[in-house]
Amino acid sequence: MLLAYIDPGIGALLWQSIIAALVGILFYLKKTRRWIMEMFRKMFDRGPKPPGVGVEIPPPNVEAKIDAK
Amino acid sequence: MPAPAPSFRDPAGCCCLFNQRVLRFVTAGAIPEFEAFLQTNGARQFIAGKKFVSTRRLNEDETAALRAAPELQPVFNAQPGGAVFEHERIPFPSCPHEWPAEMLWDAGRLTLELARAALADGFGLKDATPHNILFRGSEPVFIDALSFERRDPGDPIWKPHAQFVRTFLLPLMAHRRWNLSPADIFLTHRDGLEPEEMYRWCGPLERFKPRTLSLVSIPTWLSRRADPDDQRIYRPHLLANPEKARFILESLFKRLERTLDSLRPAAQNQSAWSDYMATHSYDDPAFAAKETFVGEALREFQPARVLDAGANTGHFSALAAQAGAAVVAVDLDATCAGAIWRRAREHKLNILPLALNLARPSPALGWRNGECPSFLDRATGVFDGVLMLALIHHLLVTERIPLEEILRLAYDVTKSLLVIELVEPKDEMFRRLTRGREHLHAALDVKMFEQACAPYFEIVRSLALPGTQRRMYCLKRKGDGP
Repeated sequence: MLLAYIDPGIGALLWQSIIAALVGILFYLKKTRRWIMEMFRKMFDRGPKPPGVGVEIPPPNVEAKIDAK
Repeated sequence: MPAPAPSFRDPAGCCCLFNQRVLRFVTAGAIPEFEAFLQTNGARQFIAGKKFVSTRRLNEDETAALRAAPELQPVFNAQPGGAVFEHERIPFPSCPHEWPAEMLWDAGRLTLELARAALADGFGLKDATPHNILFRGSEPVFIDALSFERRDPGDPIWKPHAQFVRTFLLPLMAHRRWNLSPADIFLTHRDGLEPEEMYRWCGPLERFKPRTLSLVSIPTWLSRRADPDDQRIYRPHLLANPEKARFILESLFKRLERTLDSLRPAAQNQSAWSDYMATHSYDDPAFAAKETFVGEALREFQPARVLDAGANTGHFSALAAQAGAAVVAVDLDATCAGAIWRRAREHKLNILPLALNLARPSPALGWRNGECPSFLDRATGVFDGVLMLALIHHLLVTERIPLEEILRLAYDVTKSLLVIELVEPKDEMFRRLTRGREHLHAALDVKMFEQACAPYFEIVRSLALPGTQRRMYCLKRKGDGP
């Protein structure tokens, strides 16, 4: 901010710094929550997928077209 | 030699008007950042959306031609090695002290939108004041293109936060709480209201209301406790984690947007004049005749730019805008000007509403009176048509302006058309204003009015409004007035 030339105030700047510190804590809380959620997701999603899982089932109208052929 | 630069505070450059062109001189050191910002997604989108002033760098030949102008020598000498950029010209520049609170709010929205978009592109908005914004019709346009700089990714502080609070949030709070208009504040406080000043205005209980506590009381208490000589307060406290710094800034902008939204001026604000269209003294045939008369004059003259003086809530401004004119609608009542702004935004009409008293128009302001020209300096000879409807009796009686002076002003402002409504002393509203001073205006009648017009205007046609003591005039400016 080399060319910032406006008056940043004193009280408002200090208040912004205090809020920034509190929001910084919130940042870590959110990050920790995301990390825990990810851990749980990985824990329950472990292992290879059973056969058939992830295979796309064609929509009914496509099946009807195949039968017609 | 007059100072050519109405904008000079930014060390990265200055801006000036020269031969009807808006030129921005950028110092050598600031050119790469300025050009890089103009290439960002955010800047391009805002320029395409007409929310950011379009800008182009002048080539060497164009710059050399400007160097030859003696008026620009001091600017070139002050910035050796710099570059010159040219901005589009906004049709009618206005100042924050002429806006209704609604427009100040809208300017605040645009400022935050731009600050957030710049953050996403790695830039920071380095000043956040309504002086960075002009209005094209009722739409805000950010004009201070040099207000952006590459931000340090680890910096979690937005330095202009206090300025945004001083110039947008606290004036809007003062408007909501004490019905102060932007004119009440910005005519005397270029940089808005200090929290300490607002704190003195608030009662003991009010200081603990959540919004006041955050914007006014806590900053005031902190500033009292802080050591004013402690320079550590202003040093940047950079974070090692840029993601965290950006999270903090995004959260700040969201909070400011919520606060700004909570301070949006209410649509149902009332004033002495805001109900005029519902309570005026015309019956339906008279009002229809007036509307038809104005519509015919607009069709005949087809003015590209119209000044509606004494616009009230903008009924005839809308008529002119629908006829294709770019309208500046002026009324002394800020609530009326706010209502015009809502109407213009709702119906997408090209109307710039301004809250100012034509009898005491905005003066020239700022350093050497050069930063913001007076209203009349900006308006003289600019408009193709002027509407003065139901206005003349307010100027004659309330303001005690002589009839000749009123016509002289209209003559100075319009290039061609004047539609004016003569309100005779027998009129109900006229009598209400005179309050026992009828004798002062006893001589005013059709004959006297037409004689007073003669040096300045030709009478194209006139019409007595049925059932009233009023007469409409469609006048054409004479080329060689007195």
